[in-house]
Amino acid sequence: MKLKIFFLLLCCTWLGAQAQSLTGNVLIKNGTVLTVTKGTLENTDVLVKDGKITQIGKNFVAPAGYKVIDASGMHVMPGIIDAHSHIALSVVNEATQPNTGQVFVGDALDPLDVSIYRALAGGCTTSHAMHGSANAIGGQCETIKHRYGTVDADALRMEGAPRTIKFALGENPTRVHGSGNGIVPRTRMGVEHVIRQSFAEGKEYMEKWDEYKAATKVKGFRGAPPVYDYRLETMADILRGNIIIHCHSYRADEIYMLLNVCKDFGVKKLVFQHVNEGFKVAPELAQFGAMASVFADWWAYKFEVYYSTAYNAAILHKNGVVTSINSDSEELIRHLYHEAAKTQKYGGLTDDEALAMITINPAKQLGIENRVGSIEVGKEADIAIFKGHPLSSYTIPMLTIVDGVVRFDREKDADDQRIYVDPKGNNDNATFHKYYHNHENCLEGAEQTMVKLFGFN
Amino acid sequence: MRKQYRLWQLMLLVCWCWATNLQAQDEVVLTPVTKTYAITNVNINQAPGKKIEMGTILIKDGVIKAVGKNITIPADAWVIKADSMQAYAGFIDGFSRTGVTKPKEEGRERQKDPGNPPPDKAGITPQNDVRAFINPADKAIEEWRNAGFTIAHVAPYGGMLPGQSALILLGGSGTDNMVLQSNAALYSELTPAERMYPNTIIGVMAKFRELYLQASITKNYEAVYASNRNGLERPQPDRVLQAFYPVIDKKQAVAFKAEKVLDVQRVINLQKDLGFNVTLVDVKEGWDVINKIKAANAKVFLSLDLPEKKKEEKKEDKKDDKKESKSDKPKTATEFEKEALDKRKEEFTNKYFGQASAFQKAGIAFAFSTNNAKAKDIPATLLNVIAAGLTEDQALAALTTTPAQLLGISDRVGTLEVGKMANIVISDKSYFNEKAKVRYVFVDGVLYKQEVKEEKKAENTGKKADASGRWSYTAETPQGANTGIISIKNDGGKMTGTLTSSMANRDYELQDIVLDGNKLSFFYTADFGGNSLKVEFNVALDATSFEGTMTAGRFGSFPVKGNKEP
Amino acid sequence: MKKSLNTIAIAIALLLTLSYTFAQSPKGKYGTFALTNATVYTVTKGILTNGTVIIRNGKIEAVGTNITIPSGAEVIDCKGQFIYPGMIDSGTRLGLVEVSSDPRTTDFNEVGDIVPQMKALTAVNPNSALIPVTRVSGVTTVIASPEGSMFPGTAALINLHGYTPDQMYAGFEGVVLNFPNTGRRGFWDRRTDDEIKKATDKAMEKLNDVWEKATQYHKLDSATNGKGVGYYPELQALLPVLRGKQTLLIEANASKDITAALKWIKEKKIKRVVLTGVLEGWRVADEIAKAGVPVIAGPVQAVPSREYDRYDRAYANPGLLRKAGVIVALQTGQAENVRNLPYHAAYAAAYGMGQEEALKAVTIVPAEIFGLADKLGSIEVGKSATLFICDGDPFETKTNIKQVFIDGWQIPMVSRQTQLYDEFLQRDPGVNKVKQ
Repeated sequence: MKLKIFFLLLCCTWLGAQAQSLTGNVLIKNGTVLTVTKGTLENTDVLVKDGKITQIGKNFVAPAGYKVIDASGMHVMPGIIDAHSHIALSVVNEATQPNTGQVFVGDALDPLDVSIYRALAGGCTTSHAMHGSANAIGGQCETIKHRYGTVDADALRMEGAPRTIKFALGENPTRVHGSGNGIVPRTRMGVEHVIRQSFAEGKEYMEKWDEYKAATKVKGFRGAPPVYDYRLETMADILRGNIIIHCHSYRADEIYMLLNVCKDFGVKKLVFQHVNEGFKVAPELAQFGAMASVFADWWAYKFEVYYSTAYNAAILHKNGVVTSINSDSEELIRHLYHEAAKTQKYGGLTDDEALAMITINPAKQLGIENRVGSIEVGKEADIAIFKGHPLSSYTIPMLTIVDGVVRFDREKDADDQRIYVDPKGNNDNATFHKYYHNHENCLEGAEQTMVKLFGFN
Repeated sequence: MRKQYRLWQLMLLVCWCWATNLQAQDEVVLTPVTKTYAITNVNINQAPGKKIEMGTILIKDGVIKAVGKNITIPADAWVIKADSMQAYAGFIDGFSRTGVTKPKEEGRERQKDPGNPPPDKAGITPQNDVRAFINPADKAIEEWRNAGFTIAHVAPYGGMLPGQSALILLGGSGTDNMVLQSNAALYSELTPAERMYPNTIIGVMAKFRELYLQASITKNYEAVYASNRNGLERPQPDRVLQAFYPVIDKKQAVAFKAEKVLDVQRVINLQKDLGFNVTLVDVKEGWDVINKIKAANAKVFLSLDLPEKKKEEKKEDKKDDKKESKSDKPKTATEFEKEALDKRKEEFTNKYFGQASAFQKAGIAFAFSTNNAKAKDIPATLLNVIAAGLTEDQALAALTTTPAQLLGISDRVGTLEVGKMANIVISDKSYFNEKAKVRYVFVDGVLYKQEVKEEKKAENTGKKADASGRWSYTAETPQGANTGIISIKNDGGKMTGTLTSSMANRDYELQDIVLDGNKLSFFYTADFGGNSLKVEFNVALDATSFEGTMTAGRFGSFPVKGNKEP
Repeated sequence: MKKSLNTIAIAIALLLTLSYTFAQSPKGKYGTFALTNATVYTVTKGILTNGTVIIRNGKIEAVGTNITIPSGAEVIDCKGQFIYPGMIDSGTRLGLVEVSSDPRTTDFNEVGDIVPQMKALTAVNPNSALIPVTRVSGVTTVIASPEGSMFPGTAALINLHGYTPDQMYAGFEGVVLNFPNTGRRGFWDRRTDDEIKKATDKAMEKLNDVWEKATQYHKLDSATNGKGVGYYPELQALLPVLRGKQTLLIEANASKDITAALKWIKEKKIKRVVLTGVLEGWRVADEIAKAGVPVIAGPVQAVPSREYDRYDRAYANPGLLRKAGVIVALQTGQAENVRNLPYHAAYAAAYGMGQEEALKAVTIVPAEIFGLADKLGSIEVGKSATLFICDGDPFETKTNIKQVFIDGWQIPMVSRQTQLYDEFLQRDPGVNKVKQ
């Protein structure tokens, strides 16, 4: 009996700790509304009540107490969704073992990260805060809404969003564990082995517990329970279809490998991340129903992305793969609209197709497409308002709304947006990133750990 | 990296040598003459808001026998004439490492499989008992007692689960004698292990959940097994998991260190998931999450290790002066920016000091914890906390009655009432007066008298001190004391000198000897097997003694004292 | 041992594939071209509608609305299209790196902190796969710069066409100086304020020491007509800078460091000098303007350098500098994505610099800074025929670059990235190898 409670507790773990989300009432007047899913509507109003879009039409009069935004001459689009980021996290990598399915980056959310505000200033309202790519099976990730302005970490969580987990193939896990520590995997063969082994053990574990639980239902049962294992619990949940896999990958062969492994274990929810050579196996991805979340044009920062092309997104999309453009970067997350526009240069996508890459498509990949990703009645009011068309290089994001609450307003933007200030901190403290040195934020923390763990330099 | 590690090892070795050296000196400790005391003519702060003017406190055998006016003083009593002084119940520290020895760091051999290290290597030692690490001779005990503290809640050093905490008296002849209550809580931190799992906060939280759930399951099965062992697999005993059993039964709370606002929330999330009773200690940034703390029904100890507070008034004056003199020159954007940034910093400094008041207003019972704070800073810190909105009575409650209640010992301590333990602090003025000095402290009925030092050293300016001669010195390091002799010669203003330390069989040449007023500084370069280490001294001296710090490179600064040899 | 073998294997594979790709690539074409019916953005002489540009012998022979087309010229009808001068990225590592995480393919950071004699031009790989990817986007000319230490070497301006460094050389070299930096280098840089100060002070001491030695060397060299001094490559490389014959490119980003650099420039009386990076230039824009030192700002698409800085500081920086009267060119600081230079410029334009100034910042301004205003940076008679034809505003992502000319060579509009597109858009075989 008590055991049951523990399992219940376990299930609640991820849904627990939810603070009440802040919602607002807004009327956005007279904008060019890019709904993404239902075309473009000129001179149109959008009415938002309690954080939800309740009406789209013309000449609405704002009910009392509603905030009114005049969007004349501006473009109104759904809040941008980033299917791959590491902002708002205190920790990215638990790089100590090839499978860390038990850890959860949602435990280390950082609502004070000013990157959240900067993402909002680029129209981005939702992101997928991911574990890093140091391990073949990394930690579980958290889908967050950019409700910047609170210290409440739980307020960032997008309540009810499906669970997701990070996998990683290729150079990163083989370098960290194989080359770094002499532990499988050192090769792409080893990566397959680690994943197959984890799934197989997860399956065994799941069966053992199912058996035990069935046995306990028989009156007078007395027996020892299997050893409880947090990591295998996660594997079992993947096999049960309760967790979407988001897999860091580059080369066509490794992508193909994971498709086969997932087929063998009946795992269907699969999104590839980065997936620079996805275009080479686009027909296979489409047939499986796997999705792809890619960089607009990043390549050549490491060997496994040397044979990439900026036309990747267009090829994937035209082959029927649901494709999104992601950032994996606190810098890019501020202009995903611009990154999406590059699919027009590289492959000639239409405006709606390009915009879908940063709205409804990433929403599908995170399993939240019924709630966000387009401007439709009934959806959550995550909205970005631009001066100029968002796919123009000269566009400027002006206002960003999350759940009907204005979280960024360029006209009223104050310089210092830090929520907390270190009383002992030094104000004269600048950091100059060399972007080309840390293209892959995925390995954040892992490099340091590697140095510490293995004296690897 | 490797080089640094070797140096560390050497340093430890050296420290160990110092410690053994010190123990060689024998000391005779005289026992108290009587166990009966009468403190007369004293203003008695019996409990916050409850005062008796000019009364007497009678103590016998470690217990308060009488409090009030017109009390007959027995013949065997040692009478303390505390004329117009202030008596309070001894202060209670909600969390610190006072009296706790830091275990020596073991050689950090690389884990073959860093994903599955043995628990003790990974900082998972919940079965450890802080009593094994208490050193009654720890200098900190005296320092905190001198500041008015008589009881501290202490825990072992370590990683995510360092072990069982205890309530100790800050005075006593030995560990057992000092311990008021053992196994006070299961102490935990969100501290990752180095170079192995759990290497991050997310690893720590996952590991904590797993251990807790494993413990729940094994505990159940052990009960099944105990009821009838026949035919059942023998449960595997596991001390790590067993340490969670009292927590699961709610017989014991988890005392969780939670300094920052995010730490507090993370700990509360664990608590919510698993349902244990939680005590938050060392809280520095709790003001914005009071509601969460309330909802978790957590007990709270607010940190007294607060940021330095600038002396505002003087600065304001200066600014005004500048403004007037430079009024013709408009401020640049950079100046505006700097001003705005300084203002925000100040705003947050004020929030740190205002935290206690915020908790008070929210109606949450809280007390203080002193971890990482310096005993000598406490009176000033408390004054700042009071300036930020707490009343003196509320501050006194947070030092006495509330911690007693939160730690479950209010039947014995926290007030100056008949029957309570004789833990008493007596200061010459109100404790919350800037110039107050603690004069007497009773711990468990034992009197500790505090010498009131004349502040000759700091204020001895004007007259130039003389550094020449032979000085013996003692430096306090975490591993023990380092002693030695410093000889300084003054040849017409040019000073030379040598240092002989207990840690090496050679003399070191002193370099850069500078005497500025009564401030003396110099350094020497020690060498250990090819590695050199710069050791700096910065001390203030008078004719016969000095006091200051010794800084040994990256190993940190340690207090040092010295006396002139005849 | 095994590891290094691996690396060698990778390097060999890399070389093999490189030559393979290029064997298939079409070649450039030299000749006489008449680009007709175009809207010509000359940059320096306004916008011509219905204009014609004649390219012959590698130069722009004629520009105008009423131009006779030479016989034998290949006519390219540019109706509805635009002609712009080739864009110049004033700070990159292009040609010096192939795969940045693989040290075997990186050639921008030599050992030693004072190595100004290391010449980027030597290590530029004309056959880098990154070059075609870049030039088909309209970026024709870049500074290839060494980096890392205090004096990491001498940067070179190169045109992105040619089979030897000499064929690529565009006529400018400058000595790079990384001015002592008080900023942190990334999230992983956990040095204390004190440690940073000590390191900066030490670096400053070293810099002054180098300069003093170079000054002495210059005096001795001058006094003895070069005969009284021995071989001293480091100082020899600095001589032209001391003598005002070569430009010193000083990288400084923190406002404090920029101020210090300006003071240093004044103290040392350095004549030809440019500040690069200047991410916090906006904070001290007036000082820079007053000193009259031009800057190469960027990357523009970057996060602010301080947590409390306004989110768009890096976007707005070039515009704020320009408004204060500073001469501003732009850089991406990239290698594989130098192709994004027009977008960095667009961001600078949108956040205060304006389109016209932003266009100048990637064309005529860098040409002037590098002393090449007679050769590059605008569509003018007599200048190098380094330009491109496009179907819209080149700073817009939707715009396609139709044709690029570099030094009069018609550049094949393909790169490995376009080739992969052609091959894989409709892969054959698809899922089934056996055709039904």
